[in-house]
Amino acid sequence: MTTTPNVMIETKQITKVVSTSEGELQILQPISFNVKEGESVAIVGASGSGKSTLLSLLAGLDQVSDGEILLAGSPLHSMDEEQRARIRGEKVGFIFQSFMLVQSLTALENIMLPAEIAGMDNAKQLGQQILEKVGLGHRGNHYPNQLSGGEQQRVAIARAFITKPKILFADEPTGNLDAANSEKVESLLFELNRNSDTTLVLVTHDPVLAKHCQRQLNMQAGVLTEITEQNTQTAQQQAG
Amino acid sequence: MKYGFNLAWRLFKHEAKRGELTIILFAIVLSVAAVLSLSLFSERLQSALTAKSAEFIAADRLLESGKPVDPAWIDKAKEMGLQTTQQVYARSMVFGNEQMTLTSLRAAASGYPLKGELKTSTELFGLGDVTDSLPGPGEAWAESLLLQKLGLKLGDKIEVGDKEFNLTRIITDVPDSGFSVFGGNPKVLIGINDLAATNITGPGSRIDYTYFFVGENSDLDDYYQWLRPQLDREIHDWESVEDDDSRLGRSVGRAEQYFLLASLLAIVLAAVSIAVAAQRYSQRHYDPVAIMKTLGASKKLVQRVYLYQITFITILGILLGTLVGFVIQHLVVLAVADKVTVSLDVWHWRPLIIAVFTGTICAVLFSLYPLLKLFSVPPLRVLRRDLGAGMSSRVLQFSATGTAILLLMWAYSQNLKISLILFVSGIVLVSALLIITYGLIAVGRKLGQGKMGAWQLAWARIRRRAMDNSVQLISFSVTIMLLLVVLVMRNDMVSQWQDQLPQGTPNYFMSNITEQQRPALNEHFNQLGVKTDVFYPVVRARFVSINDETIRTAVTKEDEKKDDGRNGLGREANLTWSNQLQKENKIIAGQWLDKWQEGDDFGVSVEERIAERLNIKLNDKLTFNIGSEVITVTVTSLRSVNWQTMQPNFFFVLQPEAMEAFLPTYITSFHVATDNKAKIAELMQPFSSVTLFDVDARINQLREIVDQVSVAVEFILVLVLIAGSLVLIAQVQASMDERLQELAILRTLGAKGSLIRASVIYEFLIIGAVAGLMAAFANELTLYLLQSQIFQMQGKLHFEYWLIAPLVGAITVGLLGAAGCWRLLTLNTSQLLRKMV
Repeated sequence: MTTTPNVMIETKQITKVVSTSEGELQILQPISFNVKEGESVAIVGASGSGKSTLLSLLAGLDQVSDGEILLAGSPLHSMDEEQRARIRGEKVGFIFQSFMLVQSLTALENIMLPAEIAGMDNAKQLGQQILEKVGLGHRGNHYPNQLSGGEQQRVAIARAFITKPKILFADEPTGNLDAANSEKVESLLFELNRNSDTTLVLVTHDPVLAKHCQRQLNMQAGVLTEITEQNTQTAQQQAG
Repeated sequence: MKYGFNLAWRLFKHEAKRGELTIILFAIVLSVAAVLSLSLFSERLQSALTAKSAEFIAADRLLESGKPVDPAWIDKAKEMGLQTTQQVYARSMVFGNEQMTLTSLRAAASGYPLKGELKTSTELFGLGDVTDSLPGPGEAWAESLLLQKLGLKLGDKIEVGDKEFNLTRIITDVPDSGFSVFGGNPKVLIGINDLAATNITGPGSRIDYTYFFVGENSDLDDYYQWLRPQLDREIHDWESVEDDDSRLGRSVGRAEQYFLLASLLAIVLAAVSIAVAAQRYSQRHYDPVAIMKTLGASKKLVQRVYLYQITFITILGILLGTLVGFVIQHLVVLAVADKVTVSLDVWHWRPLIIAVFTGTICAVLFSLYPLLKLFSVPPLRVLRRDLGAGMSSRVLQFSATGTAILLLMWAYSQNLKISLILFVSGIVLVSALLIITYGLIAVGRKLGQGKMGAWQLAWARIRRRAMDNSVQLISFSVTIMLLLVVLVMRNDMVSQWQDQLPQGTPNYFMSNITEQQRPALNEHFNQLGVKTDVFYPVVRARFVSINDETIRTAVTKEDEKKDDGRNGLGREANLTWSNQLQKENKIIAGQWLDKWQEGDDFGVSVEERIAERLNIKLNDKLTFNIGSEVITVTVTSLRSVNWQTMQPNFFFVLQPEAMEAFLPTYITSFHVATDNKAKIAELMQPFSSVTLFDVDARINQLREIVDQVSVAVEFILVLVLIAGSLVLIAQVQASMDERLQELAILRTLGAKGSLIRASVIYEFLIIGAVAGLMAAFANELTLYLLQSQIFQMQGKLHFEYWLIAPLVGAITVGLLGAAGCWRLLTLNTSQLLRKMV
């Protein structure tokens, strides 16, 4: 299976169904859309609309119930967890709302983690460089709980970029931060994204953050729609 | 590979530094320390006790023989580094003062006794002094009894066979004199070189040769291996203290069982605490695993990282545990130094190996399941925090844990029975607790309704976290139960030992009291303030036949042996009669002697072991010769006799009517304190024909050993109690962490500290009380099985603990919970929230 070189994510009729005590629940209706290399895409939508589920499928953290996903040409839908882990390690970076730093590793070690998992020899050096870049060069030996929320998220961003991933997934990256920190994290995220020409898929409530992206998609009750000039207003209301 | 190691090491280093490994590390340290200190101490103590008990056979090993053994055997023993000596026993008539009496003659070679002390005195019934020497050529030493019987004094001459001896000292204490109340005939000790001149060892004489051996256990075992093929079971008998079926042997044996039990319980405690800690450890690592997997780590890498980490933790835990365990047992040895001399010089490898093995097995086996769960944590957890481990099977977890514990206990004790008893009790307890947990959920649902007070919160929490709580409840209950078992077992055992030898236990026995002397003797003793015990009538008889089958030498083989009290039944037997069953005697078959009616056969009750040895069955007819008379009686019952009691016990108790025609003599006993020994001469003075047996030294020796064993048991108990309490603390601590999130939320929502504290305390009080109650029930079951199956004690119920255990459980667990809660509540809300991350 091949894909056009400049398409980073290609989805064909993907759905997600989960079983609950009350029977099967379809979280995602068949979704098809593409994300081009270097593009930044925001997925907005109300809580429970299925946007995080979509993110988990796109990033290969979860398996689709039906349909196909090609991530940088790799068919995630037909891969097992081990193969998907390898793809994630090679091509994907993550930023989460709750930072998801390993509490018993220092800031620097957290940043080094993906590089080390990928078997890069100069993990420490790279980690230190990128730590400087996010403005935390002096905090490398601190543990996550010794850092503020904004600092922790900057560490997470540094961790996401250390392996120069082709694509970055961010789940509400400013969701846990105050306005000032949000702004800092935002600008850092987009700056690094631009500099490293990474494809960015971002899930957010925040219309301002969404606006920074080239494209915006709206998720509503498992249905994904592209937001054009006309329906921006509605989407913003829903996301808010 | 290398990265897995590095990351594991990094995680380990940081987590250790940040105190995140404390609980699991503590559990391993505790298990290794407890097992090491307990088994090292008990091993050392056992060596000390065995050494002490060795005094009672005057050596580490004995070879008894009906004829002299090949001198090459003795040379071989010496060659193998053993110390040896020998003694020849004979029953021989001794003449003196123109009278004669049967004595138990001992001809000892130099070196005797290899263990224990020989004591002599110059006064009749005096306190003896330890001597290193033996009678010189032509000299004989004898017990007071001989001097009393023959009216001799020191310096008089006695004749043994063809040789005359000078009576130079009075023997007061011989280490290997056995525990029989009636040591039989008075002992006379001569040098072995004088034996030949007596000419009593000719054909047909009753001679027993005993060879004594002392040395390292391994050397002794090697020697026995060499010797065994050459031994003839008919004439040779190899004995060690362990074979000793005496009161002492049993006490020491029982204490050893207790130490084994305590160590086993320590292992179970360790296992429980490691299982709890490992579960906690695994849960704490769900996030890091999810993160690593999200970042592209393969399952293999994750497995490697955590297997390395567990290895690091285990190694550190074992190192620390060994150190702590060694220090603890050292302190214990020093603490008991004035009561029991336990040598610190001898290093025993076995306990160390066991401790390391236990630590490793516990750490590996009990973290296996939590680790498998950990490995199955999906990466999606980074987005959906509610996702836990992919696999979950309590059945698998419980059966894996249970099997591991059983195997561990079995491997350690090499005693399937004791392991199974503990295991089965554990299963019963766990099943009962699971049922209780679901019961609590149902009750809690009712009680938890209504306004949200502290009680409601507590119930609500218990209900909601029922499964987590059930694990906690099980670990609390098992811990409390184990502590109860060790405590109650010790109480029962020590009190039973003390019951056997209460203060005032008769230490002198008199026989040959005639019917006429009896009232006068009683009055004389009363005047001097000494109380005599029951007077048992005795008639000496000759056992002739069982159901017309004449008794041959085969059944009287015991005659050939040296005086060995209760084992020794010769053709001569002491018959007594009574309508009343003696205390500590129990009918095990047939019926106790009914009232005799004209025309009935006369009945006899026979002691079970002699019945077994002589193949006597109910309704058999036994014939005895008493003087020129013949009497035939029918066996109407078989009795078990507690030989441990210091009272005259009889193989044959006859119907009183059967014996009306015979004139008995009487046996009785009395107590005179050791420091009041001088009184004996005054007491006995008017009754020179009465034979006095002095068992005071024996009783004191016994009491000393029992006291020492009790002290040791006490210390073992304290060790287990400490270990158990620490496990409890760790468990509460672990469960406190689990409550952190909820506390933080309640706190954030503005709940008062007092409400939170009260609700947590109530919760722990409830859990503690239930755990205590269940533990008390399980304790009864365990104790019943242990006491009846292993310790050969009579089981009884301990109702007081049904109340004490839940109370103490509730208070202890409640207090520990309160302490843990207090620590958390001193943090402000944001610290609390931060701690949760």
